[in-house]
Amino acid sequence: MTMPISRRGFLAGSTAVLIVPIVVSCAPKGAAEAQTLNAYLRIEPDGAVTIISPTSEMGQGTHTGYAAIIADELGVAINRIALTVPTQPAPEYRLFFGQMRSVGSYGIRGWIEPLRRAAAQARMVLTQAAANRWDVAPETLQVEDGLVIDPASDRRAAFEDLVDDAALLPLPEEPTLRAPETRRHVGAATARVDTPAKTDGSAIYGIDVRLPDMLYGAVRLSPVYGAEVERFDPDSAPGAVAVAEVPGGAVVVAESWWKAKKLADGLDISWRPTPHDTTSSADISRALRVGLEVDDAPAAVSRGDAAAALAGADRIVEADYEVPFLTHVSMEPITCAAQISDARCEVWMSTQGHDVVRIALEEATGFPAERIFINTTYLGGGFGRKTHGEVAVQAVIASRAAGGRPVNVIWAREDDVQQGQYRPVMAARLRASLDADGNISAMHARLSGPMMGREYAHVTIRDGLDFFSHAVFADQKYAPGDYRLDHHEVAVPPSTCPWRAVSSSQNGFFLEAFIDELAQAAGQDPLAFRKARLADHPSHLAVLESVERRSGWGAPLPGPNWGRGVAIVESYASRCAQVAEVEMVDGRPIVRRVWLALDCGEAINPGQVEAQMTGSVIDALGPALRCQVTLRDGRAEQSNFDAYPILRIDETPEIDVEIVNTGAPIGGVGEPGVPPVAPAVANAIFAATGRRMRRLPLSEA
Amino acid sequence: MTTNFTLNGEAVASESDDETPLLWVLRDELGKTGTKYGCGIAQCGACTVWFDGAPIRSCVTPVSAAEGAAIETIEGLSPDRSHPVQRAWADLDVPQCGYCQSGQIMTAAALLADTPDPSDADIDAAMRGVLCRCGTYPRIRAAIKRAAELARAG
Repeated sequence: MTMPISRRGFLAGSTAVLIVPIVVSCAPKGAAEAQTLNAYLRIEPDGAVTIISPTSEMGQGTHTGYAAIIADELGVAINRIALTVPTQPAPEYRLFFGQMRSVGSYGIRGWIEPLRRAAAQARMVLTQAAANRWDVAPETLQVEDGLVIDPASDRRAAFEDLVDDAALLPLPEEPTLRAPETRRHVGAATARVDTPAKTDGSAIYGIDVRLPDMLYGAVRLSPVYGAEVERFDPDSAPGAVAVAEVPGGAVVVAESWWKAKKLADGLDISWRPTPHDTTSSADISRALRVGLEVDDAPAAVSRGDAAAALAGADRIVEADYEVPFLTHVSMEPITCAAQISDARCEVWMSTQGHDVVRIALEEATGFPAERIFINTTYLGGGFGRKTHGEVAVQAVIASRAAGGRPVNVIWAREDDVQQGQYRPVMAARLRASLDADGNISAMHARLSGPMMGREYAHVTIRDGLDFFSHAVFADQKYAPGDYRLDHHEVAVPPSTCPWRAVSSSQNGFFLEAFIDELAQAAGQDPLAFRKARLADHPSHLAVLESVERRSGWGAPLPGPNWGRGVAIVESYASRCAQVAEVEMVDGRPIVRRVWLALDCGEAINPGQVEAQMTGSVIDALGPALRCQVTLRDGRAEQSNFDAYPILRIDETPEIDVEIVNTGAPIGGVGEPGVPPVAPAVANAIFAATGRRMRRLPLSEA
Repeated sequence: MTTNFTLNGEAVASESDDETPLLWVLRDELGKTGTKYGCGIAQCGACTVWFDGAPIRSCVTPVSAAEGAAIETIEGLSPDRSHPVQRAWADLDVPQCGYCQSGQIMTAAALLADTPDPSDADIDAAMRGVLCRCGTYPRIRAAIKRAAELARAG
């Protein structure tokens, strides 16, 4: 059958592309002089919409959030929107510290305004193009589902028929945003845009990248942290396509990863001695405890005179805490495909650290940034670990060694667990004084451990304050008067790396476990004690009251070996409170239920906010209860999931989430659910047993 | 030597060494990248495929063991994401990063083939071998029950 072709069918569509820059008002200086346009919203001649995304998609759902924001503001179906990350870091997408990274739970809160503005500009020029054509005022027109509509005459023009004209119109400097009540996706549990590809095996992660003539690389890296190669025999991998030295080890290239891995395992290689060849976790713990005892340490926060106030106080509470190294174990291991020629260096990887990778590749290749291209795939989890660029350097070395053929370097799980980049160890000694009403009249927090910000060129440690080490304590609200935070720095053999929620993860445990001890000393209920201390902070109160009400706080527990514990941590500009209910079985804590309340301001996608919250609880329970990396002879004792047992489905508690909106500005979501988990469980164990839990993991004690 | 088996219903031949894990044959030789590597020691379940209808860990299964077998991967579960487990996974938006989900889906589909109306205990027993660092477990549990309903509805 022949379809009738209308005249309009021949004329439909445009040849031009409408490009609207995504402009960030707080972008670092120099953004305006960008040589290439890498940050924009684009409408194709056929009406399809592309967002050049500021962040990677690693499961946090940000791409769905962006699509929802654009769909509502532009007036287009969400399935007409595609997202891609720029192949060169866009100056406009650099965060306040000058780098493009998908970190800090910034995905939505950092970009919602510039994305909305760009979508509004696009909608307004498309509307203006239709208004010009029909000779009507643009204010009388409506935009819906990719159509500009004139209700008075019932005329309609599709975006694809307007792009040519709209592309010639100036973008309005001050676009008018649509009224919030017109939004259909924002505020609703919009279905994830990536779910179809993630249910049929077609989603491409870094490990899945396949290029013409591609080879595979496996690494053999020093078992002792930071050891340099002493010698290796490139002829000890017979059948390899190439063998090359990389920092700290070697990469072996072959036609399949399994073959490369077997050859790498058999490689004849040795490493130079290090000063920590015999270091164990007990040695590190001792060094941390020394740091708790020294008289003075550099201050990060100093308000009033905490030392004098504590010296003169009647009632002092003091406790020491400690946390171990943690590793990230993203389900997708560390991987990168690369191809290098004399002209260009191109990588394909599941990265959340675009500028980190660019800088690493500039250093490794000597190429200027213009000749380096980074293709971002889906990430099979990131959690902070995939900000780093060492695997990109290995892959480029491998490609060069293989005569310029593309090589996908894949780390084995053992490499991932054993090669450092850990959430740092840390010890804390907390001292506080209580007045007769239970107010915290003075507090001194001493941290002892690595100062992680020192490992990052972009981090300025000003006046001793390092947000990679001091979150939560830097702006704690419990002790409003005399207060001191100081930090005795202890260097450790493994490299350290932001882990989900970064320093809020350990500092939230220290502070919230200690607050429970203060409540006990004051003779007050731990939840009531927190509410009284936080009475001037409505968002804190709102999340505490939510978990208090829903958990039946104060009601009888199912049995004598049960306990409830509460914690509240503000991180990434959101407040999260949790109550954990724990049963002790044969002396071990089983977490039965968790009630969680989050105030992140407006929830752009409540379904994904809830997913992040339940996921955060499950994720954080592994390290709270039993996961850790320990050292023996300068190397990790764990190597895989058998010894680093993250939670399984049959151990997952019932998790009840409420999203509370007190009208606060939009906060982060990817990380704030993590910090309250460990202290809520520790405090529940105390309630069940009377034992204070001051070290993680809790099941070890 | 050559190993002959069927992959998603089609006859294939692998030239990989006998001891090469089936996982790497599927991914690197036969181009089926939906099946994932996560641990290499049968701890995480990301590599789960069906071997004559039963879920196995392809990361520790030598390809030679697959001689004559019927291997099914996520790519073969349905041509159009219409398997009840895939539909339920979409209905409940189960995946986050998604990396473990091929293993989750293949394990769940095998469970439902044997146990059309699974209890929570059945689900725990079948699914405890598949790790998810994003923590999608509550939605996995709900989606398996939803898939059971969809399968009954036909």
